[in-house]
Amino acid sequence: MPVDLQFAETTVARFGRQPESLIPILQELQVHYGYLPQEAMERVCELSEITPAAAAGVATFYDMFRHKPAGKNIIRVCRGTACHVAGVGRVEEALRRDLHIPADGDTDPEGKYTIEPVACLGCCTLAPVMRVGDATFGHATSETAPETVLEHIASLSARTAAPSTEGRHTHVAGPVAEIHVGLGSCCMAKGSDLLFHALQESAAACGGSIQVKRVGCVGMCHRTPMVEVTVPGKPDAFYADLTPGQARALVERHFKPHGLLHRAGALWTRTLDSLLSENPSPERQIAGYSMSRRDPGVRAFLDKQKHIATEHFGRLDPLDLDEYLAHDGFVALRKCLHPAPVPKDALDPAQLIGVMEASGLRGRGGAGFPTGQKWRVVRGHVGEVKYAICNGDEGDPGAFMDRMILESFPFRVIEGLAIAAVAIGAHEGIFYIRHEYPLAVQRVRAAIKDLEERGWLGDKLLGSDYALRLSVMEGAGAFVCGEETALIASVEGRRGMPRLRPPFPAESGLWGKPTLINNVETLAQVPWIVRNGAPAFAAIGTAKSKGTKVFALAGKIRRSGLIEIPMGTTIREIIEEIGGGAVEGHRFKAVQIGGPSGGCVPARLADTPVDYESLREVGAIMGSGGMVVLDDTTCMVDIARYFLEFTQNQSCGKCTFCRIGTKRMLDILTRLCAGKATRAHVEELERLAHQVGAGSLCGLGKTAPNPVLSTLRYFRDEYEAHVAGRCPAGKCSALIKYSVTADCTGCTICAQRCPVAAIPMTPYARHTINLDLCTRCDTCRKVCPEDAIEVN
Amino acid sequence: MSTFTISIDGRTVELEPGQTILAGARRLGIDIPTLCYLEKCGPLNSCQVCLVKVGGPGPGRLVPSCGTKAVPGMVVESETTEVHEARRTALELLFSDHVGDCLSPCNRLCPLGLNIAVMIRQLEAGRLNQAIVTIREALPLPGVLGRLCHHPCEQGCRRGNWDDPAGIRDMERFVTDENFKEANPWVPICAAPTGKSVAIVGAGPAGLAAAVSLARQGHAVTVVDRRARAGGSLRDVPEATLSADVLDREIAVLEKMGIAFKLGMALGPELTIEGLLLGFAAVLLTVGELAAGEGAGLGVALTGAAIKADPNTCRTSIPAVFAAGSAVKPAKQIVRAMADGQAAAVCVHRFLLDKPVQRPEKPFSSIMGRLDPGELRKFLQTASSVGRVSPCDRCAGLSRREAVTEAARCLHCDCGSSGNCLLQHYAQAYGADASRFKSERRSFEQFVQPGGIIFEPGKCIVCGICVRLTELAREPLGLTFIGRGFDVRVATPFNRTILAGLQQVAAECVEHCPTGALVFSDKLTAAPVDASSPVPVA
Repeated sequence: MPVDLQFAETTVARFGRQPESLIPILQELQVHYGYLPQEAMERVCELSEITPAAAAGVATFYDMFRHKPAGKNIIRVCRGTACHVAGVGRVEEALRRDLHIPADGDTDPEGKYTIEPVACLGCCTLAPVMRVGDATFGHATSETAPETVLEHIASLSARTAAPSTEGRHTHVAGPVAEIHVGLGSCCMAKGSDLLFHALQESAAACGGSIQVKRVGCVGMCHRTPMVEVTVPGKPDAFYADLTPGQARALVERHFKPHGLLHRAGALWTRTLDSLLSENPSPERQIAGYSMSRRDPGVRAFLDKQKHIATEHFGRLDPLDLDEYLAHDGFVALRKCLHPAPVPKDALDPAQLIGVMEASGLRGRGGAGFPTGQKWRVVRGHVGEVKYAICNGDEGDPGAFMDRMILESFPFRVIEGLAIAAVAIGAHEGIFYIRHEYPLAVQRVRAAIKDLEERGWLGDKLLGSDYALRLSVMEGAGAFVCGEETALIASVEGRRGMPRLRPPFPAESGLWGKPTLINNVETLAQVPWIVRNGAPAFAAIGTAKSKGTKVFALAGKIRRSGLIEIPMGTTIREIIEEIGGGAVEGHRFKAVQIGGPSGGCVPARLADTPVDYESLREVGAIMGSGGMVVLDDTTCMVDIARYFLEFTQNQSCGKCTFCRIGTKRMLDILTRLCAGKATRAHVEELERLAHQVGAGSLCGLGKTAPNPVLSTLRYFRDEYEAHVAGRCPAGKCSALIKYSVTADCTGCTICAQRCPVAAIPMTPYARHTINLDLCTRCDTCRKVCPEDAIEVN
Repeated sequence: MSTFTISIDGRTVELEPGQTILAGARRLGIDIPTLCYLEKCGPLNSCQVCLVKVGGPGPGRLVPSCGTKAVPGMVVESETTEVHEARRTALELLFSDHVGDCLSPCNRLCPLGLNIAVMIRQLEAGRLNQAIVTIREALPLPGVLGRLCHHPCEQGCRRGNWDDPAGIRDMERFVTDENFKEANPWVPICAAPTGKSVAIVGAGPAGLAAAVSLARQGHAVTVVDRRARAGGSLRDVPEATLSADVLDREIAVLEKMGIAFKLGMALGPELTIEGLLLGFAAVLLTVGELAAGEGAGLGVALTGAAIKADPNTCRTSIPAVFAAGSAVKPAKQIVRAMADGQAAAVCVHRFLLDKPVQRPEKPFSSIMGRLDPGELRKFLQTASSVGRVSPCDRCAGLSRREAVTEAARCLHCDCGSSGNCLLQHYAQAYGADASRFKSERRSFEQFVQPGGIIFEPGKCIVCGICVRLTELAREPLGLTFIGRGFDVRVATPFNRTILAGLQQVAAECVEHCPTGALVFSDKLTAAPVDASSPVPVA
């Protein structure tokens, strides 16, 4: 079928003919055609300054671009760390099997379903996660995932999609009763958007002035959807794990219906409900979901935290500029500008940089370079044109702090970037946000638009004489673009390939101009520091690591979530107190910190304080803040293999050590997991790991061996076990066998549920497993009511 | 800013601001390997074989010297074990994803390292005068070997995986015999006289091979033998297999090279090693297999009946006295005895030049391993499909027509860039192990373009030079990187042929390709420089 090229033409007209329009144009083509038809790309090249070499190179570099048409429904399966340890591999296997997607392809023969792995969807606390169209589903299992997908797809065609929660929300000023619903993208994956609409309906039905309000991330992902009810003059009430069906009961528990008609109606339905169900009355039932800040679990989770980047968490509507202003919003920026009247405590750029240096703030993106010093260097480079970039390309699998901050506090990050721009003398700021975070992109764009409409961005930043223009660039799916020079290449419309530093971007960055690149969380801390002063920030933390750090706590842990803790808090405090320790019946074995560049810190070193130097000493890095807890069911060799697979997959392919070195390391790790490696292989792995670390060009390659080196350092016994043909955690499928013990009662459930018919049905007799057919999918063990399936 | 100095391996060099470490090293004559560096393109920093260690506070770090600008006072290490190990690893990693053989299997299997594919191309093109040069470059007595060699080359011939191996020995004999029909058969050229003299005791295969090697290096060689005619055990071969005429005319070539023969003289009370050492700078013993007790009078230490010689240096217990061939270790095959004699000659040569004495390294080669039938078919596209032609029993070797027909069967599975390839060159220099990382290899691909360019993507090391050259020349299509990570490949955009992307800079790209990924097909017929020729070893 010939491709309609009209769209390609209008897209070029819309984005412009210059080379840097390439990525946005390709993104539009991808959305429109579902893939990148060659004819359309060639047409783009004819109409613009984009060369065929650039178009073909870029189109094949980034993950989001497809080169073949996709099936009608795209199912994205998260390959993040938390999802990996939670068994997303088995979920994907089940999806492929049930949707008839061949092993060597991504689409079923009928073209109905396409499966796409995604490096990380950033919903780690809900692992394993998949996304069907725009809807995210957490806690997927191999048994339920295919059904969930099919049901969702069926429901899409049956009804119109749920209304968006992303419009501008108008809030009534003054003391008013409020119901807060967390609407971050992981909350929504657990249905908080549906709950939000249900609460709105119930509140409207109730009459009176109850405001159902969208707020940002609450942090307690393990209890979402979460709702807070605030009534002036009464203590705040919290509810967790609610479903939309409980909305009415919740509203009625707190608010007496207004007017006779409402009250009568409510009484009648309540009576009817209690007649029809054996359950206690909805009002009593809802009480069971109530929780209080005084609950030991809640207190343990919250008490050790200190909220700076996440100040006012769970209270602010992310897109309500007035509310942000009412909570000290833009006070810090105002201090750095000089609109009349000049504030008493105004800071000129030199003083501002002095404050940042004195605060001791270090980059929260991973490497921990002192932020003030970075600003000073960029300021020191003279130039008419400079750029300030917010690095929102949070690619570490297992990390989602930046997504949450952008979704929940877009104005705060904008304020931070604006302050940085003023400090260095930049008049253009760019948000580079990964496209896998659609809500973050949407909210930052909406926040910028709002500020522009007020005249606070553009020629007169916050009404001052300082000009600042902000724009958003969406990434296209490449982990390496988190590296500064690769990010710049991507903004310039090129393949995200890092280059040798020096020169550093501070000297020669975007378009060869001095450029400052700061991470989202770093910028989110800036307004607090400017408002409260450097000493207040420097008073928190350790000697060399000041302030707080946001962590995404996920994996095999009781209370997962998003936390902000003072530097110096120990790993033990985080995992055992805040997180409540390992999941029931399991032992905390290690924690993976810093993602693919980090390492696994063993439980015996849990008293290590979280600061840049201490983490480096134990073989991990601060990284961007992903913390994935591993327990006795996690195989450390498999974890190392997982990370090498990730970095290998995300390597840009430029330098020899990273392109081929990580591949050869992965080859050896794959051998180990298959039980085909020798001791010599382990030695070669270690030797090569050091050489890849020393010889790679950029940070991605230099740190890629860390997961291997840290597991070799602390869990060498597991490597040796694999050489001997054993997987102590029972994870590596080539090294484990399933068998049925004498406890089997012959109930046949395993035989019925086995997806590959490896268990013959023998009613009332002990079952057996045909190991040649068995795929080690673990279904039988999970469904057996007698615990009669053994893995060894 | 004015000029400043940095130190590399403890030596100081003066540089202009903006110059790189590589520039400094080159000024000092330090050969830092580079594959992806071409001045015109600017530093691409992809191959990472030019790593050096930059010191300073802390343990120092490895940086690519081609892209790292020198700063005043910089302390750089280049020729150290650590740096060399890193460079070697980079090379070895490249080889683990390099699909191709530098040297054809026949060449690698030939104990004397004859570049067979080149010889065959010369034969096929009718350039017999070039073919004999190629043959005599490697083989001391080709007329003999063309009849007696057990031809291990043919065992490895890739054509043998399809039907029958190429008749290499027959072709070699044909070229040699044809040359003897000339009025002035080819005599290898010897280097200018060094003024050093060597005595070789024993005119058998090992001794004669050593004599040829040493004579070609410019040394004055005298061969002593107890028999009346040179040839040693070759004189015992039945006339029907090796006629005396053939051997005599080979010896005549050696005499023309200036090799002196003292025949009818054996070591004994009258002719002692000590005596020889008075007149010669070195003595090489190639006396053939010794019977029990026979060696006792020689004056050198023995192991059992054989002469004791260091396997790495061929040195005996007496200084300046070397030994090789069956006298040290009985060799069944003539070609192996010759190879041993040749290796001993290298040891003697190095001794005479006061260089560290060591047997020559094996020429480096990337090894592709087994081909699957599909890959074999790609090679067959450019070869004749006829079956093997063998001379009849009564014929004196192949006829000219038969030889050319047989030559056309060669698959030319050697690399068109061998001897001209930076990757191969530095692999040899750094002693790289091409098979350190064993893994599944990519499939062999070859695209023969009209106009004579051969593109073999498996040999591409993704250095980026050609991509950059097309960009600089504003090629309408050009070349680009396709894909990411391990799978990144260089290709023309939109699945067009490589030629479509190289409308203006094809020659430049071929010239600067650091490997054999891009070569001109006519390059294959030229005689490549011997890959084992001396390379600057750091």
